[in-house]
Amino acid sequence: MRRFWMRHEMVLLLVIVVEVLIFNAIGRRFLTADNVANIVRQSVEIGLLALVMTPVILTGGIDLSVGSLLGLCAVTFGMLWGELHWPPWLAALGAVGVGALGGCVNAALITSLRLPALIVTLGTFSLFRGIAEALTGGTIAYTKFPASFLALGNSFFLGVPVQAWVFFVVAVAVWLLVHRTTAGRAFRAIGFAPEGARYAGLPVGRRVALAYILAGSVAGVAAVIFVSRVTEARANAGVGYELAAITAVVLGGTSIFGGRGSVHGTLLGVAAVAVLGNGLSRILSITAVSRELAGILTGALLLVALAAGALTTRWRGAGDRGPSA
Amino acid sequence: MRALRGVSFDLRVGEVHALLGENGAGKSTLIKVITGAHAPDSGTLEVGGEPVPHFNPREAHRRGIACIYQQPALFADLSVAENIALRLDQPRAFELARATERRARAADLLARIGAGIAPEREVRELSMPEQQLVEIACAIGSGARVVIMDEPTASLTQKEQHLLFAVVRELRASGAGIIYISHRLEEIFALADRVTVLRDGESVGTNAIDEIDEAKLIAMMVGREVTHLFPPAECPPGEVVLSLRDIGCSLSGVRDVSFDVRAGEIVGLAGLVGAGRTELARVIFGLTPADRGGIVLDGARVVVDDPRVAIAHGIAYVPEDRRRHGVILEMPIAQNISMASHSRDLGWLRDAAELRVAEDFIVSLGIKAAGPDATGSSLSGGNQQKVSVARWLATKPRVLILDEPTQGVDVAAKSEIHKIIRRLAADGLAVLMISSDLPEIIGMSDRIGVMRGGTLAAMLPGGSDAHTVMSAALGKEAA
Amino acid sequence: MKRARELSVAAVLALLLLSLAIFAPNFFSPQPLLSRLASQMPALVAAIGISLVIICRQIDISVGSQFGMCAVLAGLMSAAGLPIPVVLIASISAGAAMGAVNGALVAWLGLPSIVVTLATMVTWQETLRLWQQGRLLNLPAGVQWFGLEQWKGQSALIVFAVALVAFGAWVLRRVNAGRFVYAVGSDAEAARLAGINPRRVTFGVFALMGALVGLAAVMNVVQSPQVQPTCGEGLELKVIAAAVVGGIAVSGGRGNLWGVLPGLLLLANVNPALTHFHVQAYWEKAIQGLVILLAVVADRRAAR
Repeated sequence: MRRFWMRHEMVLLLVIVVEVLIFNAIGRRFLTADNVANIVRQSVEIGLLALVMTPVILTGGIDLSVGSLLGLCAVTFGMLWGELHWPPWLAALGAVGVGALGGCVNAALITSLRLPALIVTLGTFSLFRGIAEALTGGTIAYTKFPASFLALGNSFFLGVPVQAWVFFVVAVAVWLLVHRTTAGRAFRAIGFAPEGARYAGLPVGRRVALAYILAGSVAGVAAVIFVSRVTEARANAGVGYELAAITAVVLGGTSIFGGRGSVHGTLLGVAAVAVLGNGLSRILSITAVSRELAGILTGALLLVALAAGALTTRWRGAGDRGPSA
Repeated sequence: MRALRGVSFDLRVGEVHALLGENGAGKSTLIKVITGAHAPDSGTLEVGGEPVPHFNPREAHRRGIACIYQQPALFADLSVAENIALRLDQPRAFELARATERRARAADLLARIGAGIAPEREVRELSMPEQQLVEIACAIGSGARVVIMDEPTASLTQKEQHLLFAVVRELRASGAGIIYISHRLEEIFALADRVTVLRDGESVGTNAIDEIDEAKLIAMMVGREVTHLFPPAECPPGEVVLSLRDIGCSLSGVRDVSFDVRAGEIVGLAGLVGAGRTELARVIFGLTPADRGGIVLDGARVVVDDPRVAIAHGIAYVPEDRRRHGVILEMPIAQNISMASHSRDLGWLRDAAELRVAEDFIVSLGIKAAGPDATGSSLSGGNQQKVSVARWLATKPRVLILDEPTQGVDVAAKSEIHKIIRRLAADGLAVLMISSDLPEIIGMSDRIGVMRGGTLAAMLPGGSDAHTVMSAALGKEAA
Repeated sequence: MKRARELSVAAVLALLLLSLAIFAPNFFSPQPLLSRLASQMPALVAAIGISLVIICRQIDISVGSQFGMCAVLAGLMSAAGLPIPVVLIASISAGAAMGAVNGALVAWLGLPSIVVTLATMVTWQETLRLWQQGRLLNLPAGVQWFGLEQWKGQSALIVFAVALVAFGAWVLRRVNAGRFVYAVGSDAEAARLAGINPRRVTFGVFALMGALVGLAAVMNVVQSPQVQPTCGEGLELKVIAAAVVGGIAVSGGRGNLWGVLPGLLLLANVNPALTHFHVQAYWEKAIQGLVILLAVVADRRAAR
């Protein structure tokens, strides 16, 4: 099994290398410091969501609401700063708090009422976005943030975009959580066999709740970075990000059925999607077309990754169908 | 690895042909081939002398093959009548569903096997034995020429078993052939005309039932003569460790159970299916917490409302269904063993320690595996059970509850597990062992608790005879 | 108690309408009422499809993008002067084809429908954007209301959609194919053992979902002189909410098509009711989400 995932990650790495080589050969100024920083900036928010989507999917769940929650947190941030005149750092804390609260709503419905994650987060997907739209009356956008705050999304620290440092810290933390702690082990056990995990005395409800609350909180972090990068806070922030995050996770080799997967796989998945999107925009002159094409390709890529996963599992399943039948 | 190799099997008109073998011997695979659920790689299948080239469930049904599965394969959301109709008619998609007709026939079939189940009830409301009766009604109704019964008595009460035996004999008399799979030798001797033993995916031999005895059958199954002896008790029990005081749980129907388990003692828990034994274990372990009475551990009253509390108090529960609850099949042995020890809090993983513990248990319990990295699914049933036990021993418990520790385990592994249990008791563990295997209960227990209707019906001394235990379980005075 | 869910939803709907009748009587003036009702009929037809999908223990969130694709296709064909029946057949076929893609991936590769339809949702949506770049399509005269008078066209749509619900409910209840959907949603493995092909049923349900969306798209196109490429946005949530509120259990195998009608009307009337009570209209999405959550919570409560 371990060898299989090694292979999966190697394949993904190869895909990224090939993408880079192709875009570098035919695109304009693809492999320049500027453009690499660009790619990083544009993928940090989705990357953050993908990182925390990984534990959720490992437990056999899914969170469709992270994109909407990002929107709600962005609006919250804007309101706290623009209407209540909180300093940006405090408003950012408030946004993360709202994210955690949103995660708690998901977690409570999923764990204490034992409702399917799919339908719960589909409901909150609509609910969170709806609240964001209602709060802003559908049209208000908060702008004119202080330069000190905008630096978070648009400047460098030690030669690397500032938000990349935030991403790095979160990535290390999530990696440690998933791969080096008992909680990470519990995520997998729950993903493979929720009842079995309960019989082993694992705190199933609390671990599942942890995954969703973490997802919500980091959606808040991503919202603050998003607002800083695009310099405005609107209700439509992060539309469709949940799909991009799920795509990166699945592409990274995490089984959509739970149990199997890794955070480093997810990171490679994020990179593959980000390079593709940026590379297309370097080849095609019309930005709108390249964005739509990148969307189509992302959807198609997700289907291909899923189908490949299903086919290899089936092939492997046929191989080791042992005497235990 | 092949599940089945060059097996030839024939079934005559009007016979009960028993199929016997250890877990993993290939019985289930053979059944799946016969019912068309799996396609064989090689070989042929003939029904009534005609070869059948492309076999699938629909074709199997058309040829009069019906199967009663261990776990009833019914539609929980549909009514009994509809379940029977879907199974029997192989209805065509674009035809009307005739509800009245279906209900009438279902009522008729259920009456024939003496089951008092209303046909319009939804299957989700039925108990396990009732569902099995519906399965049997399906088989009867299909007028099948071949009826396969896969461990049909596993969840039946004594009364329902007798009902089932009568149905089997009636089927045989009507000219059907019955393939009967069971681990219980006494059933095989009571019902079968011939018996085929499978081992490691191959047929070891087919014999008429009167040419063979129990010892020979066991020898064929394990490949060598094994005389099954239960290991003797080694030392007298010590202090009371676990004490139940009028414990009850309205949710699971357990009421007013009181008894003690001492250090170094094995208390067997006998009873019919549905008597509340597993339910009692779940109460003690905190899966369905008690709402009346209490648990006293080492003289101190404790409230166990969650498995983690139970673990913290040194209570361990090795569940009955090891594939679903006992081990996580996809995870390596080492991770399975450390799992319950992780339940207490959030902390870092310690790979080296985990591996060392796993290797120790692989040696001390004799787990046959490729190594601590081998997944649970790669193990045989007996070895999965040992992993499940190891997981709980790793928590260093003082009370060990074992639920059907040798169910579906082959004979050799069974005796190894018995030795392990005895050794654990000798080391001072208080053991509560639930089992439906009467010889096991009698052979292993220092005292025998018998449950009936959710409560403790009797506490018998060790070495009581089978008749006494069974009478208590049935609620009759011992004669 | 067998119809408890349908009745309770209908009761809430009645309550809502009653309070509107008292506090905002002009809500019931005939022409806007008819228009409002007719405008919900495409969603009703799509809700029939999603109900089948959910009963089969699947989900389809690509409904909205499929709807947009079919609507634009139907619009382009009408604009090219093709007769309505041809447009209708083309739209239904296109929908069925898109549904078949979902169905094939879910049924034969065993992939989870949520992710498959999430991926196809984005693929169709972006394809549509690439194709139309958000352009509005103007339709020739005679397409709107099939060239009938408005009230006649609207009544025809309403009668047709409700008849379709009745037919669907009858098929689900009385025809074996309908029972198969329940059987597969209840237990796919048991269905297989009973000789039902769960893959074929699952595939069929998704393809039918697509076909119904194709039909719904045409029913939408004939209601206005223009086609908006964004007309399907959010439709998936609306129909899932309608089905769930109408008592179709998300765990599959349970539910009745008759509940979907009051479910949809309840959802559809919340927003107009809000405006009549002078609440901002921006709350629509939030209320939809809340209603989905309330419905599943209520189901779970009832199951206990």
